[in-house]
Amino acid sequence: MRRLLGRSGLVLASLTVVVFSIFPVFVMLGTALDPAANAGGRGVIPSGISFEHFARIFSQTRFPDYLLNSLIVAVVTVVASGLLALFAAVAVARFRFSGRTKILMMILIVQMVPMEALVIPLFLQARNLGLLNSLLGLSVVYIAFSLSFAIWTLRGFVAAVPVELEEAAYLDGASWWQMFWKVLFPLVAPGLVAVSVFSFILAWNEFIFALTFMADDDMYTAAVGLRTFFTRSGTDWGAVMAASSIITVPVMIFFVAVQSRLSSGLMAGATKG
Amino acid sequence: MSSPALGSARRPWLLLAPTLAVIGILLLWPMVRVVLLSFQDFGLRELVRGGAEFVAIDNYRDVLTDDRLWRVALPNTAIFALVCVVLTVAVGTLVALLLHRLSPGWRTLVTMSVMAAWAVPAVTGTYVWVYLFDARAGFLTGVLGQLGLVDVATQNLFTERGWFYAIATLNVVHHGFPFVAVTVLAGLMTIPTELPEAAMIDGANAWQRFRHITVPMLRPVFAIVTILSTIWDFKVFTQIYLMPGGDGSNREVLNLGTWSYITAMSQNKFGLGAAIAVLLTLLLLAITAVYLRTLFKEEEL
Repeated sequence: MRRLLGRSGLVLASLTVVVFSIFPVFVMLGTALDPAANAGGRGVIPSGISFEHFARIFSQTRFPDYLLNSLIVAVVTVVASGLLALFAAVAVARFRFSGRTKILMMILIVQMVPMEALVIPLFLQARNLGLLNSLLGLSVVYIAFSLSFAIWTLRGFVAAVPVELEEAAYLDGASWWQMFWKVLFPLVAPGLVAVSVFSFILAWNEFIFALTFMADDDMYTAAVGLRTFFTRSGTDWGAVMAASSIITVPVMIFFVAVQSRLSSGLMAGATKG
Repeated sequence: MSSPALGSARRPWLLLAPTLAVIGILLLWPMVRVVLLSFQDFGLRELVRGGAEFVAIDNYRDVLTDDRLWRVALPNTAIFALVCVVLTVAVGTLVALLLHRLSPGWRTLVTMSVMAAWAVPAVTGTYVWVYLFDARAGFLTGVLGQLGLVDVATQNLFTERGWFYAIATLNVVHHGFPFVAVTVLAGLMTIPTELPEAAMIDGANAWQRFRHITVPMLRPVFAIVTILSTIWDFKVFTQIYLMPGGDGSNREVLNLGTWSYITAMSQNKFGLGAAIAVLLTLLLLAITAVYLRTLFKEEEL
């Protein structure tokens, strides 16, 4: 009897956690699909299924532009931070030089700096350099904030590549750069995938810098562009939730895909804020 | 180091150069700059013309003597963070203990849903909670009305500081507990099953096993999730800023992060905003230092 009670208790607890966890996503998708989303009812069960809110945000609002801006910023961030981090990871994993440990510690410590504390000086700096209202300016900030985690992660992947493989490439007459692209790069590709997902999520989700840097509503990213659905005459909740779903779903797919491959510790701190 | 290519003394520095430049210009110099700014009178005029007057500790004096700091921003930051950390760690640990006892099938289902909660971006997640507590259309406002806790006809929850932060707490805990659950679960997996089994034979109940086996063995894990949650919950910005009134239009709900931002960006008092940002960072450093000291003392890590 006690065992049976324990079993059903576990099932009940599990279902509670599942419902609590997915409730916001359910409400987001449900409202996005609900044709009566803006009617002001208090329900969370859609009254029907319709794609009219999605059709509206793509045909009648600036949201497609904002989505493209986000995509450009995220891709620039992923490519640039992945490449820079790989170079740095090779330097610290493959070479012994004075100052190596100090640089590693410095990289670790700068990761602790809260992004929020640097928004004021970085705004002034970007303003002086003419990098406000520019997708490049925003990407550069995200590159800086994703480098530290990327270097520490890739360092492990680079160190795991046997040095003998590099030496074999040299014996075959390869130069250092040829060895780098032909041997090292393919072997650390899984690590690059992991850090790419991290930097993509960071750039895609980020709000404060996107809000601060983009004064011009042409340049909004998707996360900031959601604000345009809140108007003086009321909120277009159907549009907010349809756009939110489009922002949320790719992140969720990436997240669950990576979760199955990476240990939890590696993703620690990757997506907060 | 037999290969001549590996022996090159300049190569590591060439490889590190772009990274060091980015970190130097975009992280280290701004850290210095924010401290310098906090000692300057830097407003709209300085923004346009350049140059700024050094005003020593005037900005800090203004902040520390401002009633708004002690009555509004600090309580809204510290009490909120404290409640969020306790709830996040408690809920996360309970979910981890649950996951640990589940069969593989159930565990996958629950883990996937917890991951889904984790993956929701702060921006879109916050809008969902705002929608759920909306005065006119909110489902949860309706539930609270049914329970007699809220008068749905007249009350707007976001205008009341207590309700505003209760909703923000729900948002932050929901977003934060998955990290704790997954990390603590990883810790639980490392405890050899013989220990709790032996304790069970000795007649220890579930609470005693948790208290005397799980907690001591997982102390470092709990320390990490508590430190990280504290840092995150003290500097919460997006989740507050995006709630109705959180962008400065309701002064009662400012926290240190939003206050600093609004002072600098909306009122163009960059020096004063920087001083608030520095104080927030110092607070974070102090808390982290205290945690680490307690940890090192107890653990001799």
